[in-house]
Amino acid sequence: MDTETETTPNVEGELYGVLAEFDSPGSLVKAARQVRDAGYTEFDCYSPFPVHGIDEAMGIKRTILPVIVFTLGSLGTFGGAYLEWWMNAYNWPWNVSGKPLWSIPANVPIAYETTILASVLTTFFAMWMLNKLPQVWHPFFKLDRFTKATDDGFFLGIEAGDKKFDQRVTAELLEKAGATAVESCHYEPDPDRRKMPRWIWAFIIATTVMAMIPFALIAKARASKSGLPHYHIFPDMDFQPKAKSDSAFDEFQDGRANRGEIPGTVARGYLKEDDPAFWWGLGDNGDGTKSWITGLPDRVVPTPALLACGQERFHIYCGPCHGDDGQGDGTVPTHLQQIGKAWAVANLTDPSKVTLPNGQIFNTISNGRNTMRGYASQIPVEDRWAIVLYVRALQRTQHPGPGDKP
Amino acid sequence: MKTLTVDEKIKADSLGRSMVKYGLAVGAVVLILSIVLGGTEHDHFQRFQYGALTAWMFVFTLCLGSLFIVMIHHLVRAKWDTVLLRVAENVASAFPLVAALGLIVFAPMFLGNHHLYFWDSWHQLPKDLQHDEAFKILQKKGTWLSSSAFILRYALYMAIYSGMSLYFSRQSRKEDETGDKKIAERLRVVAGPMVLLYALTTVMAGFDLTMSLSPEWYSSIYSVNLFGGAMCGTWAFLTLLTRAIQRTGKLTNVVTREHYHDTGKWVFSWNFFWAYTAFSPLLLIWYSNIPEEVVWYRYRWAGTDWQALTYVVIFAVWIFPYVALLSRWTKRILPLLMAVCFEQLLAHYIDLYWNVMPNVNWGHREDGLTTGPLTGPFTQHAWHFAASDLLSLIAFFALFLAAVGTRMKGNLVPIKNRTLNASMAFENY
Repeated sequence: MDTETETTPNVEGELYGVLAEFDSPGSLVKAARQVRDAGYTEFDCYSPFPVHGIDEAMGIKRTILPVIVFTLGSLGTFGGAYLEWWMNAYNWPWNVSGKPLWSIPANVPIAYETTILASVLTTFFAMWMLNKLPQVWHPFFKLDRFTKATDDGFFLGIEAGDKKFDQRVTAELLEKAGATAVESCHYEPDPDRRKMPRWIWAFIIATTVMAMIPFALIAKARASKSGLPHYHIFPDMDFQPKAKSDSAFDEFQDGRANRGEIPGTVARGYLKEDDPAFWWGLGDNGDGTKSWITGLPDRVVPTPALLACGQERFHIYCGPCHGDDGQGDGTVPTHLQQIGKAWAVANLTDPSKVTLPNGQIFNTISNGRNTMRGYASQIPVEDRWAIVLYVRALQRTQHPGPGDKP
Repeated sequence: MKTLTVDEKIKADSLGRSMVKYGLAVGAVVLILSIVLGGTEHDHFQRFQYGALTAWMFVFTLCLGSLFIVMIHHLVRAKWDTVLLRVAENVASAFPLVAALGLIVFAPMFLGNHHLYFWDSWHQLPKDLQHDEAFKILQKKGTWLSSSAFILRYALYMAIYSGMSLYFSRQSRKEDETGDKKIAERLRVVAGPMVLLYALTTVMAGFDLTMSLSPEWYSSIYSVNLFGGAMCGTWAFLTLLTRAIQRTGKLTNVVTREHYHDTGKWVFSWNFFWAYTAFSPLLLIWYSNIPEEVVWYRYRWAGTDWQALTYVVIFAVWIFPYVALLSRWTKRILPLLMAVCFEQLLAHYIDLYWNVMPNVNWGHREDGLTTGPLTGPFTQHAWHFAASDLLSLIAFFALFLAAVGTRMKGNLVPIKNRTLNASMAFENY
């Protein structure tokens, strides 16, 4: 084999080690095994791609990476679960659609994701640390031959710091192991040139400082007051030409955002004006004023079925406060009284309520009164009239007229 | 790189014959015993049928998983598992016999016994009850879920599975003889469309075979979960089967610890796939809390006899094997791996039992009329031990081994496969 042993003539610096080149991954593995068997420990292999079996050949122990990942991954699981419990069940209890504040099914997905996040980050950074990365410089970089390590060269380097290292004996061992070339490598003799160039330091410091600027500005803004207007990064998004109701709008010829009624059309919801008694419980007095109707709208025909519907709706929506018989003693005020609080709920069979016109009762159901809120969004109009009918029936039981059977 | 020495260690010889002999003997005797014991339940053999369905599903899913392993092997041009390929092919190509075994479960439907599937039974209720609100969904599904349509689909599924598995098996054996390199390439090309066909068939088969036991309930991910359990059980089964074959002195020079390490990895990953697909419908159904959806879980959970079994499923199918197989070294100690695989295989049966058996007790109204599975008070759904379940499992498993035995002949590895040497030299770095 055409083996050449070079000793660099102008040796000035301290010896770092020897580097041997091999022609194939197979011979590299074989050589690594021989070097290991010869008792060397401070050596490393360099190849353009991972070589199967090189770990075993070099005598490298199995990595502890799985243990680290398992530990921190588990921490991710329980940390995520703890985060959810602390936020949603402990620090700020928040009822989401009636689910328990803390439950396993709802909290599994987040804990699962935090497990993955913690495992991935741990794998990535622990791998770097265990491999002593990033390594920006290495003594072998000086050797021209070594650039082939990223292309088609397979190298084995033994450091001079190894207990068994002897420049001549070690070089012979590598030659015998099938190296195509063996070369010794020396540190840079000039100590100043071994340091990182100043401009790199300057660059790192400058970029680090520059990266702090946004955070500094944010911190300053949070701690100080300013009379200046907002800075608009995207002014065309902040100030868009758009028509907002009842405001000026230059894009239309008349300068108004409102477009007015189009002849021959009825705006959405305006058909209700045809039947104010049904929709709002209002009757026309004939002189332009309106008042609550005392009868029923034309569309509401009192039937036993409607009354039964009213009873059912009443028990669902009104009963909890007003009581199922309208006496103002529902479970909510009763419970509040038991725990020493008070909430006045109207007795619907009180004479003052009996005299109310139907329209006003309907309006109260729709829009609420005092602490009672409106039910227009929950109860359809027909059902609200059914409830009015049922309230009337309840009042009749307390104030029977002539002819009512007890 | 190792090369194969073709000797008696890779020949099946009498292995298949003894599997058939003992499997058939044990299977036939225990099956008869199971039917007799099923008769003592005095429920028109309903409990026996449910136990037999569970046991048949167990062997069916093992076949199903093996077929998938064979197809994926060709599809991705796998190298490491070539030494296990023939064993998987032998299990998968027992499909025609497994399909015939299924008739023990499904044939009674045509002999006047309507106690397996409720959709096969509710037509016998009084006419006015059939038009009850409760049966509206069943009315809509009426044509699909009828015994004639069911058996047609059963025949179709089994024809597809049997055809695919026999095709792969025969081509592979042809390669043994001729060494034709084009065969492997052709199998790779057809494996793609076949995997699609397989997926479609498996989704429908899962819906028909076990999900329709509670015909008013449905979940579109159900069959995916069933498939995940099948794959997990299959890898455990193949690991045990290969090891058992090695104990008879075969394959000892071919299959190494490295291959077992990898089958262990597969058990591990399918184990988590099962857990993932089991949890996802649970989360959605639990959260939306819609009565007709939660009912399936309600009868397996709070307040019922089945709750303890649900805990067993969670721990036996997922948590225990997951933790046990998490580490590299547990997969490389063969006795330990075999123990976990055995547990995982048993847990696969428990999972199927948990899917099937809570449907066995049908609810009854006050007037005594049947309202179907997952209806009525929990007290009507109490669990009781039935020896016929256990005997059915033994019988079907023995008959399944006999069916696999009929395929165990010739070479136990594909001797002319171009990836065989790479597979034999395979190592986990």
